[in-house]
Amino acid sequence: MKKLLSILTITALLLSLVLTGCGTKANSDEVASNMQETFKSQILFKGSSTLAPVIAKISTNFIEEYKTWDQVSEDFPNKSLDIFVSAGGSSAGVKAAMDGSSDFGMVSRTVSDEEKGKIEGYQEFKLGLDALTVSVNPENKVYEVKKSLSTEEIQKIFSGEYKYWDEVESTLSHEEIVIVTRDLGGGAHKVFQKKVMGDKKVREDAIQAPSMGALVTKIMENKNAIGYASYGMVNQNAGKIMPLDVDGVAPTKENIVSGDYKISRPLLIVKKGELLPQEKTFIDVLLSEEGMKTVEKMGFVPAK
Amino acid sequence: MHQKFEKIFSYIIKGLTFSSVMMLIFIIVFIIKESVVLFEKVTIVDFLFGKGWNPLGEPLTISIFPMILGTIYVSLLGILIALPIGVGSAIFLTSVLNRKMRKIVKPTIDLLVGIPSVIYGLMGLLVIVKFFEVHFDFSSGESVLAGGIILSIMVLPYIISTCDESMIKISEQYKITSEGLGVSKWHMIRYLILPACKKSILAGVILAFARAMGETMAVMMVIGNSPVFPKIFGKAQTIPSLIALEMGGAGVDSLHYHALFAAGFVLMIILFLVNMVFHYIKKSIEI
Repeated sequence: MKKLLSILTITALLLSLVLTGCGTKANSDEVASNMQETFKSQILFKGSSTLAPVIAKISTNFIEEYKTWDQVSEDFPNKSLDIFVSAGGSSAGVKAAMDGSSDFGMVSRTVSDEEKGKIEGYQEFKLGLDALTVSVNPENKVYEVKKSLSTEEIQKIFSGEYKYWDEVESTLSHEEIVIVTRDLGGGAHKVFQKKVMGDKKVREDAIQAPSMGALVTKIMENKNAIGYASYGMVNQNAGKIMPLDVDGVAPTKENIVSGDYKISRPLLIVKKGELLPQEKTFIDVLLSEEGMKTVEKMGFVPAK
Repeated sequence: MHQKFEKIFSYIIKGLTFSSVMMLIFIIVFIIKESVVLFEKVTIVDFLFGKGWNPLGEPLTISIFPMILGTIYVSLLGILIALPIGVGSAIFLTSVLNRKMRKIVKPTIDLLVGIPSVIYGLMGLLVIVKFFEVHFDFSSGESVLAGGIILSIMVLPYIISTCDESMIKISEQYKITSEGLGVSKWHMIRYLILPACKKSILAGVILAFARAMGETMAVMMVIGNSPVFPKIFGKAQTIPSLIALEMGGAGVDSLHYHALFAAGFVLMIILFLVNMVFHYIKKSIEI
């Protein structure tokens, strides 16, 4: 009898699994067809790991302030406010917006025309700019003798034409230059390649750091290292890594916003099609003064 | 009535087993499907033994030869370091320690498996890599050697466990006889236990090799990830670290994306072969 019962339970459990599977599917169809009646209380963000912490921070504050949608505006029903942010790279962000697997894509590079063409009713919102600084270890005297590097010099350093620091400036010590980059397929490297390297290739034995944090750690740990640390990372680690001027332009907030400092990339939120009212509300929050402050606090240059 | 339910139950069990096998098949089919696209543009020989990795630039070269070498090099180096330590520890555990101490020490060694690989990577980055830079005058400490040292710690429990099991069996078998004959303990270890354990040592090595080849995070953090031909004091890149590093940035459906899947496919094939050898050896261990 016991055995019989347990078998029945197992079958029932299995059946319930299958049946619930069907149930949710029907539900999601319903949501799609009756958009006005069934209110979508979740907003999903996916993409750039640079932008993810910013959105996560703003959305956490937003959720803590309002908790449910009806607190935000009277037009919305009493449903819980859920904003999910997941990081997976800029290209994943574009892809997520493209196939609709998330509501918004986070992208920290310019979106190519080809990609724009694949997203129906493409919309983008610029939150700010992220600049890459050419940074060195504070123990490296290049910071004192040569405050500014020209594009050409940076090209020579990164392509391996200059192997030792004394080739850059004869008063420096004869020690090997250690190049640190991000992965060569990633967003940050694409910006650097386009804005600085042009056709030249970064030398093959450069260290590819798995994250911007690892890159900065490497520069802090190794006195001969040079790499492109992001503007935010330099500010968070002020004094531990030294940014150099590029073509005589310092990587300051004013220079980055005005576009004089050239190694920068935009931080974008991309969307396929029209915004729902609740999505519009949240985008407004992102672009508000409060949101811009958070963007700045997280180490980026706000768009406004 | 009773039989009917037994039958239903057996169907359910069969179904569940079937689904787990199907999962493996789906994964393989998916990876093959995604990597076949690449082989329409790049020949398999070029992909395996070509010159370099530059899936974005012009001219386009897609070859994972340096990564294959890097993967094998780092894994072999790790095992080379771990093997004497592992076999030595197994002898110590089975022949020197008494039963009570063994019960404490063995689980402690097994705990090494439970440490997340990113922690190993962090230790490698901050201790080993830093050590090379400060004491050996390396321009940068990221090297095959650093990866090998980290891997050797990670695979140690695998070697110790496989050796330990058979060593205990053998020593139980011969202990009374050799003690009765007045053979010393170390003579017994040298001429009886070690030769009899040859196969399990080999099995442990192969298991550890498979583990080392698949390791991603820890190796990625200490090896520098430069797609160049590996030298012991130079940087290198392994296939898992290549995939982990570049998958996020590869445009969907681009050649780069398919090349990464193909790299994963190659890694999987190598691991299958290694695992097959492992099973074959394990089966032929009689004692």
